[in-house]
Amino acid sequence: MRWRFIARIIGILLIFLGLSMIAPLLVSFYYKDLAHNNFLRSMGITMVTGLILIIGSKKRGSDDYINKKEGMATVALAWIGIGLFGALPFYFGPEFINFTDAFFESVSGFTTTGSSVMTNIEGATKSIVFWRSFIQWLGGMGIIVLSLAILPFLGVGGIQLYKAEVPSPVPDKLTPRLTDSAKILWAVYAVFTLVEIIFLLGGGMPLFEASCHAFTTMPTGGFSPKNASIAHYNSAYFDYVIVVFMILAGINFSLHYQMLRGKTLAFWKDTECKFFLGLALLLTLLVTWDIYGSVYTSIKDSFRFASFQVISILTTTGFATADYETFPGLSQALLFVCMFIGASAGSTGGGMKCARIIVCFKYCYRELFKIIHPRSINHVKINNIVIPNEILRSVMGFLALYISLFILAGILLASMGIDMMTAFGAIAACIGNIGPGFGSVGPTENFSHMPVMGKWLLAWCMLLGRLEIYTVIILFVPEFWKK
Amino acid sequence: MKIIIVGAGEVGYNIASRLASENKRVVVIDKDIDAIQRLSENLDVQVIMASGSSPKVLIDAGINETDILLAVTDSDETNLVTCLMANMISPTTKKLARIRNQDFDSYYDRFKKENPHIDTIINPEIEVVNTIRKLMVVPGAVDVGDFADGQVKYIGLRIDRHSPMAGMKLIDFSSKFGEDRPLIAAIIRNNEVIVPRGSNKIEPGDLIYFVSETEKLEKMLMLFGKKIIPIQRALIIGGGRIGERLANLLEADSIKTKIIEADIARCHYLSEKMEKTIILHGDGSDQKLFLEENVGQSDVVVCVTNVDETNILVSLLAKNLGIENTITRISKSNYFPLLATIGIEKVVSPRLSAVSSILKEVRKGKVLSDISILGERGEFIEAIALETSDITDRPLRKISFPKGAILVCILRDGHIMIPAGNSVVKPNDRIIMFAVKHAVKKLEKLLTVKLDFF
Repeated sequence: MRWRFIARIIGILLIFLGLSMIAPLLVSFYYKDLAHNNFLRSMGITMVTGLILIIGSKKRGSDDYINKKEGMATVALAWIGIGLFGALPFYFGPEFINFTDAFFESVSGFTTTGSSVMTNIEGATKSIVFWRSFIQWLGGMGIIVLSLAILPFLGVGGIQLYKAEVPSPVPDKLTPRLTDSAKILWAVYAVFTLVEIIFLLGGGMPLFEASCHAFTTMPTGGFSPKNASIAHYNSAYFDYVIVVFMILAGINFSLHYQMLRGKTLAFWKDTECKFFLGLALLLTLLVTWDIYGSVYTSIKDSFRFASFQVISILTTTGFATADYETFPGLSQALLFVCMFIGASAGSTGGGMKCARIIVCFKYCYRELFKIIHPRSINHVKINNIVIPNEILRSVMGFLALYISLFILAGILLASMGIDMMTAFGAIAACIGNIGPGFGSVGPTENFSHMPVMGKWLLAWCMLLGRLEIYTVIILFVPEFWKK
Repeated sequence: MKIIIVGAGEVGYNIASRLASENKRVVVIDKDIDAIQRLSENLDVQVIMASGSSPKVLIDAGINETDILLAVTDSDETNLVTCLMANMISPTTKKLARIRNQDFDSYYDRFKKENPHIDTIINPEIEVVNTIRKLMVVPGAVDVGDFADGQVKYIGLRIDRHSPMAGMKLIDFSSKFGEDRPLIAAIIRNNEVIVPRGSNKIEPGDLIYFVSETEKLEKMLMLFGKKIIPIQRALIIGGGRIGERLANLLEADSIKTKIIEADIARCHYLSEKMEKTIILHGDGSDQKLFLEENVGQSDVVVCVTNVDETNILVSLLAKNLGIENTITRISKSNYFPLLATIGIEKVVSPRLSAVSSILKEVRKGKVLSDISILGERGEFIEAIALETSDITDRPLRKISFPKGAILVCILRDGHIMIPAGNSVVKPNDRIIMFAVKHAVKKLEKLLTVKLDFF
């Protein structure tokens, strides 16, 4: 482990984070909400720390190669660092009483989870509300991916960092050069965000709220500048616009890129995309059927609210237009399952990812097939491409870890005096980067009443989910630290 | 006339042998010392032990004054590079290449029009696979082939006791079946080829060859008491190129297909490529595997490994398990006479098929196809009747056909005509003839169609 090297990269990322605080600073000046000092202080601390790290770890020689282990450590530590320093503006603001809350909100933002401890968002300063949305937007496509796109400093080692931040069960590189791929991803992401802002403005949403919502839809984040989330507007137009953009955000971005390049059929040729869209439709219809009559009297309303909740949870966004805890049991069960499935690999969504679910089912089918035809040779394929055994193993390992960590964290949280439904609901919502959970952390409540230790545990789960388990959990394996 | 053959494998050897016996100057190039030695000991050809794709070797072999280059090594890549180099050095030489990889299938036209300007691409496997597909559905059919771009088919069929034809004289056919009577080209009885006359009788156990328009084939088979059978489950032994191609074809027709392949690496390759076909790893002759996989439930078993003996054995094994419909790939022509006696009837041979398609391409003029049956003991010849030949513009009864040869049918304006004593062949008619081996030369003379070359 070459700590100097890791420290240097984290230093650079901190400077980058400091610079990104210019955006809320400008918002603060524009609205004259008197919070600019908080941002200036945060910027100062963040950038000075970054500079100290860079200067203190002056590069010796030309060892810009990072191995996989170092890449993972760098990314995990960088995300923790970003969570800590990104919490400063919250900490300095009047809305947060202690650092735990600020850190929770910051990590929830960067990991695009969307769980909040703020009880009165509408009463908060504009710049803080903007910073919440903006960090989701930064975290959605990945801070390291973003820095790869605009700063060529990471060199050869970039690929290790990229893999650690955006682990994908099915590897796909859009272009031969990583920087180009990163640029494309961010360009697509930015264009979609812009289009969503325009659509929301078109429906009469004020510019500030439209931007905040677009900044949290595309990364499937779920922070809203309104206390009641999207339900505040009670408008079918806004609901459906956001549903469409949540779906787009939940699809693999390389498919968007292919489509924008003229391959319009890319969506229909991709197994995972078909699975994701089909699942979203099926679950929407089931929930519509379930809540029609029992919650809503018209089929139109049932479909509208069913589609929004299903897609919001399935894509792991976490916006709400209805309190799904008042839905019948089947709908709640389906939404709970959605929390685990998640969106597509290569999208901004979290959860286990559809690709892994497909691989898992195909793998199980192969095992059953082997029992019937003991001497058959067959492979697990997606899009007619064979998934190599190492990837199969890593996917099965991922799923096993995901479930075990969910159970372990759930028990830990319950041991802090929280009821079972809330404990497991909160863990599922945080490890899947969704936002609202079940029980006393449902869509109409928030996480402010969680115990301090519980908040740190949940923040840790969010990081686990965002970096797809391995990158974070590897830090806890003793073998990792041996020289 | 000078011909260079690159590749002295089975195909190269057999073509060299046919061409050398017709007094052509043949040069064979191959890297393998054993293949070269076998050739130089048995045939009157010049041999060069070197790589045929090397430009230096090609020049040394005299590519500049060569009329035809045949690239028939086992490697597609070598064949392509050989043609490419030949095209650069001597663009006027006709080039013929054997290309077998399926991935090249859609590029045949471009190979012709663009570099390396390959005049003809031979892929016997496509032909063999099509033959297997046709053989599958006709019970008792031993052989199937096409004339006139598939408009006309010839079928070899075993007559059993229940056949309505058994015991009939050919002369009685017209009164019984009328216009649509079958055109019998040959009867094989006790391993002997009989060119039928009106007085010949069809007996149970005979193997007959007949010709039919493709559209009327089903009706014609009904006359023989045979029906096209639908295939639902197929088992392929051997996942080589033929097995792979066949499985693709069957998969497209949504037939449940299993392949048994002995080589584990090949199994993985197939499993990666195939969508629905089940790939099984094991020896084709492994009885336990057969029972495990319920082989008795298959509608057809196709044995296409590279080893003749395995194919024969597995076919017998399958028959033992109650599957009558088996198709066997055989490469060695000296096995052919034995097969019928042990009950193996449906036989395909990619080698023979390659040799005859290459010869067909090499032959110039009015012979359109020349198909050997039963391991070269008889030949179907499809030709265009020349104005200058003795056969045209005279009633058939005035023409003395050589013994052992028969005019099977006449194709005029896309219609098949049954020849009778007073029929007249007009110039530019397509005629299909059958001849036993020793009658072929005389038949050529009659046609005044020399089996000539480019």
